[in-house]
Amino acid sequence: MRRLATMTVAIATCGFVLTACGTAADDNGDEKAAAPKCETTKIEGDPQVAIAYDVGGRGDQSFNDSAYAGLEKAKGETPTLKTAEGEASQDEDEATREERLRGFADDGFNTIVGVGFAYSESVNKVAPDYPNVAFAVVDGFDPDKDQNCNVAYLTFAENEGSFLVGAAAALQSKTGKLGFVGGVNNALIQKFEAGFKAGAEAAKPGTEVTSTYIEQSDPKGFGDPAGGKSAAEGLYSDGADIVFHAAGGSGSGVFDAAVEADKEAIGVDSDQYKTASAKQREHIITSMLKRVDIATYDFIKSVEGGTPLASYNAFALKDDGVGFSTSGNFLSKDTITKVNAFRDQIIAGDVKVPEKP
Amino acid sequence: MTTSSTDQDVASIDVVLSGILKRFPGVVANHDVDLHLRPGAVHALIGENGAGKSTLMKILYGVQAPDEGTITVDGSPVSFSSPTDAIGQGIGMVFQHFMLADNLTVLENIVLGAEKLHGIGDGARRRIREISARFGFGLEPDDLVERLGVADRQRVEILKVLYRGARLIILDEPTAVLVPQEVDALFANLRELVAGGCSVLFISHKLDEVLEIADDITVMRRGTTVGTADPATATRQGLAELMVGSELPSPETTESTVTDTPVLELRGVTVTNEAGRDVLSDATLTVHRGEVVGIAGVEGNGQSELVEVIMGMLRCSSGSIVLRDQDITRSSTRQVREAGVGFIPEDRHRHGLVLDYPLWENRILGHQTQAPVVRGPLLNQRGARKDAQRIVEEFDVRTPGIDTSARALSGGNQQKFIVGREMSGDPVLLVASHPTRGVDVGAQAAIWDHIRRARRDGLGVLLVSADLDELIGLSDRIEVVLRGRLTATFDPRDVTPMDLGTAMTGGEVA
Amino acid sequence: MKRLFYAVLPPVVAVLVALVATSAVIVVSGGSATSFISTILSVPDDRVLVNIINQSSMISISAFAAAIGFRMGLFNIGVEGQYIAGTTAAAFFGGSGIVSGPLNILATLVVAMLAGALYASIAGILKVTRGVSEVISAIMLNYIALTMAGYLVQRYGEKSGYTYITPRLPESSQPLGFSVVSGAPDVWALFVVAVAVGVGYWFLLSRTRFGFDLRTTGESPTAALASGIGVGRMVIISMALSGAVAGLVWMPAYFGSVHTFGTPENFQAGLGFTGLAVALLGRNRAIGIAVGSLLFAFLAGQSNELQRDGIAKQVVDITQGVVVLAVVVAYEVVRRRQARAEQEAVAARLDDRPTEGVVS
Repeated sequence: MRRLATMTVAIATCGFVLTACGTAADDNGDEKAAAPKCETTKIEGDPQVAIAYDVGGRGDQSFNDSAYAGLEKAKGETPTLKTAEGEASQDEDEATREERLRGFADDGFNTIVGVGFAYSESVNKVAPDYPNVAFAVVDGFDPDKDQNCNVAYLTFAENEGSFLVGAAAALQSKTGKLGFVGGVNNALIQKFEAGFKAGAEAAKPGTEVTSTYIEQSDPKGFGDPAGGKSAAEGLYSDGADIVFHAAGGSGSGVFDAAVEADKEAIGVDSDQYKTASAKQREHIITSMLKRVDIATYDFIKSVEGGTPLASYNAFALKDDGVGFSTSGNFLSKDTITKVNAFRDQIIAGDVKVPEKP
Repeated sequence: MTTSSTDQDVASIDVVLSGILKRFPGVVANHDVDLHLRPGAVHALIGENGAGKSTLMKILYGVQAPDEGTITVDGSPVSFSSPTDAIGQGIGMVFQHFMLADNLTVLENIVLGAEKLHGIGDGARRRIREISARFGFGLEPDDLVERLGVADRQRVEILKVLYRGARLIILDEPTAVLVPQEVDALFANLRELVAGGCSVLFISHKLDEVLEIADDITVMRRGTTVGTADPATATRQGLAELMVGSELPSPETTESTVTDTPVLELRGVTVTNEAGRDVLSDATLTVHRGEVVGIAGVEGNGQSELVEVIMGMLRCSSGSIVLRDQDITRSSTRQVREAGVGFIPEDRHRHGLVLDYPLWENRILGHQTQAPVVRGPLLNQRGARKDAQRIVEEFDVRTPGIDTSARALSGGNQQKFIVGREMSGDPVLLVASHPTRGVDVGAQAAIWDHIRRARRDGLGVLLVSADLDELIGLSDRIEVVLRGRLTATFDPRDVTPMDLGTAMTGGEVA
Repeated sequence: MKRLFYAVLPPVVAVLVALVATSAVIVVSGGSATSFISTILSVPDDRVLVNIINQSSMISISAFAAAIGFRMGLFNIGVEGQYIAGTTAAAFFGGSGIVSGPLNILATLVVAMLAGALYASIAGILKVTRGVSEVISAIMLNYIALTMAGYLVQRYGEKSGYTYITPRLPESSQPLGFSVVSGAPDVWALFVVAVAVGVGYWFLLSRTRFGFDLRTTGESPTAALASGIGVGRMVIISMALSGAVAGLVWMPAYFGSVHTFGTPENFQAGLGFTGLAVALLGRNRAIGIAVGSLLFAFLAGQSNELQRDGIAKQVVDITQGVVVLAVVVAYEVVRRRQARAEQEAVAARLDDRPTEGVVS
């Protein structure tokens, strides 16, 4: 009985401590009044660049590699540039991501690029502690209302690029049916879908586009070739003859499905004709280019130039931030001409591309 | 028995073990063991549990190598590093617990692992028929093992080693699972075997059987061979004294203590299994205060179900069970135990103990809701330890202490601990399944004493046993169970094991 | 003394073996073993130290959830799904602010436990009534939990950047942490939950009747049955209990820093599987699990440091894996030794003859 009583006291104490030790609400009042105005981030010394990759890291033949290409280019121009790289792992927590960024900053890196929107929250937390470090988040966003003056969010007009490949696909299609495979059903991937549909409709009204997503929220959708394959197989068997994927590593499954069905596919992010296997490349008619390398390079250059990019920087068609590839000569002359015409119209603002399907 | 050399069709084997010594760290399991197994003879090896028979068997069968001493086969020294070596020399082993796959046929069980000898088809089938006919086994190669009775399964095991070329067959307590009639049949088979030139090493502690079948007898005690005897002249008494170094205890109860007060009443209890078959039909039975009711039956005839339905581990489909004046027909095992039923399960390793728990925690087992081992929802460690210590002392459990895990104790000491535990808290009924199976003679006597004492104090006991001597010696009344029915009642004062055996197998009682 | 030695030796040996094995892998792949050893054994800086403590709280809760199953003889691989279920329910409830102020913390924890318990019960009930292996059903349920969580957050949550999150926890319900290391972030307040779970686990299993029944069922289902334990009922109850604890796994992070939930950014998946490994590592003992959690968190915490030295962070996974494997082997060796020593002690007591020189 005495033991039980001791337990009860312990539990009660614990509850008391929890309530007594206070909450964040008691503790506010400071650092809430964020100044709306920003001054240019002052970088001390030469730029030293660190890149924190998303899951997959260097060698993913896509997103991360593209960022690395930007770094390489900058390094090629400035051989003395000191660089470092780090990589996220599956199922890591927020603190680990933050720690990666802080580690770079503490080691003296004053130019830090987080590749992938997963770094948005961590950069948001870390950046205020390092006012003299310029941060950039590829595909990033500011999760709260406090403005971070030393963070650049490098975003892309994926919808515009997707519009172009959508138009190309509609012009090349024989069945009038197209397919779209998304890795994960989130707002970013929906931008691809929206642009692709709009482009197809604009080039050939009445073109049918069917969309599927490999996962609803599990990031596994970007690394699941089997899932990509079965999704694409479904689309092909429903009559689509060209499938566009925005599914990262799952895309190779989409290409396999194209090979087996002897249909065509469209790559994403980088020119996948150049990285796919010999069999697959015969079926990759074009790729929607998302120039992470250009964005990364531009950011590094801006730091070198003394005025680091800050806030939202959208890389659109007009900046060559997105585009389409013609490797393999699958697209007909006529198609290329028409797609380029759309391109000019978008840059001129005559055509508005939606961001939501 | 004489060996007729004209009848011989198996090459005979002559095995001599001399000066065998086997040490385990800190313990000498065998020392100065000398054993001569003559060709064409049944050699009985007797001794209490723990006398070193198993170790010796393992050495002979190639499972363990002796530290000192020699084994010679037909005059030349051999050393075995595995049972395969042993069988290669013609030495085969039949274990007490059969190692057969129920869902395979006799043929498949036999050729499994010996496919190279005669293939797996007609060659093997022919060879099996040959052996079976030669020794009068009466086995059909294509019968499913699950359809066979215990005695037939044993014959399959023997055939298995013969098929592999065994000339010396080691049988570990082969009669433990058999009824008297089956024992006779087995002995007839063994006689055929030795007539054919085989040698048999027969391990047992049933002295009457040993005297009946053996040509030579060797007695082991405390790890060594203490003597040999000639079955023609040896007496039961003399052998027993060699084995234990003292007088063999007998299970006989003295005066009756039976009262008129029923403790347990079963009325028309029927248990139906998943297949819809009645495994216990219409069982009606009363156990009174101070009465021991013995249940005799060949294993698998419903005695396990009888025990389990009383203990609440099985549900009956009809009938009622009353403990004193409390209906326990639908009670859970825990409620039955709380109502004052002690339970000595048939298989102490599976049901009676948690082997990796220390003794004091095993004291709690089965008594999780009863003082002194618990206090409300909490364990009472001090109470459990104190009471475990009491059992160790009162029931003479040989252990270094109550923190020793149950696994480390010998079978007899484990069983004494279980008996002590189940008699704690003054039960009104003790359900005991094979309480002395696999227990050495000393512990057996102690357990019998405890049951008798508790009976005198008014305990009712339901005793299920395969040991007919135990049943006859301890019971006030014996019920025979056959194919799920209680078919006959005997007064132990005027029944012989032979009568019981007949009733157990469904024959007419003379 | 000897007992302590036997208890401590295996994990120490296992860690050494793991470091050697990992070094070997690094050398083979052309890296430097010395820089690996010196980095992984370096004292982490204050910030990392706090991270390690925080991580270990979640890992240990997960390990305790798994250990409850293990002690019962159940392989609750569903801790992963159960904590996702618990987190989803808790995050919606906590964010809704139905209960206000600090009481919301306790209420949310209860919701997390209930959701985890309910979710785990599915596997338990399926096992008892339909004989479905809890491993199979739990693997399916893990997948369903993750997908359902994603769907629910997308359907009923708020948009944040490209993804969706649950409504943020009101500030009045965000507990302050413990400032253990000055200058570093706080240790999460709900670290105390991990401690409470650990103490509760120890008490429940070694001091209560229920714990005895649970352990007994795990050690020997047949003996449990004969002793009057309702094994089927025990399976469901212990599954639910395991799930209730699992529901708490991510709560320290939720209340400590994230304050919302949404996969994958605002969540940490995979803790359920880590917990299974740590439960194995800690031999399902409270102290073992506590130490094992710290070790795993420590190794993971050093991975960023390793990367900056140019060593792939995956080597940490190798080290963790080898540690678990080596510990399992080492404890089995010790267990056998101890069992033999015990049998010798019994034999020595029974043997009238003086035993001859001990051979070992």
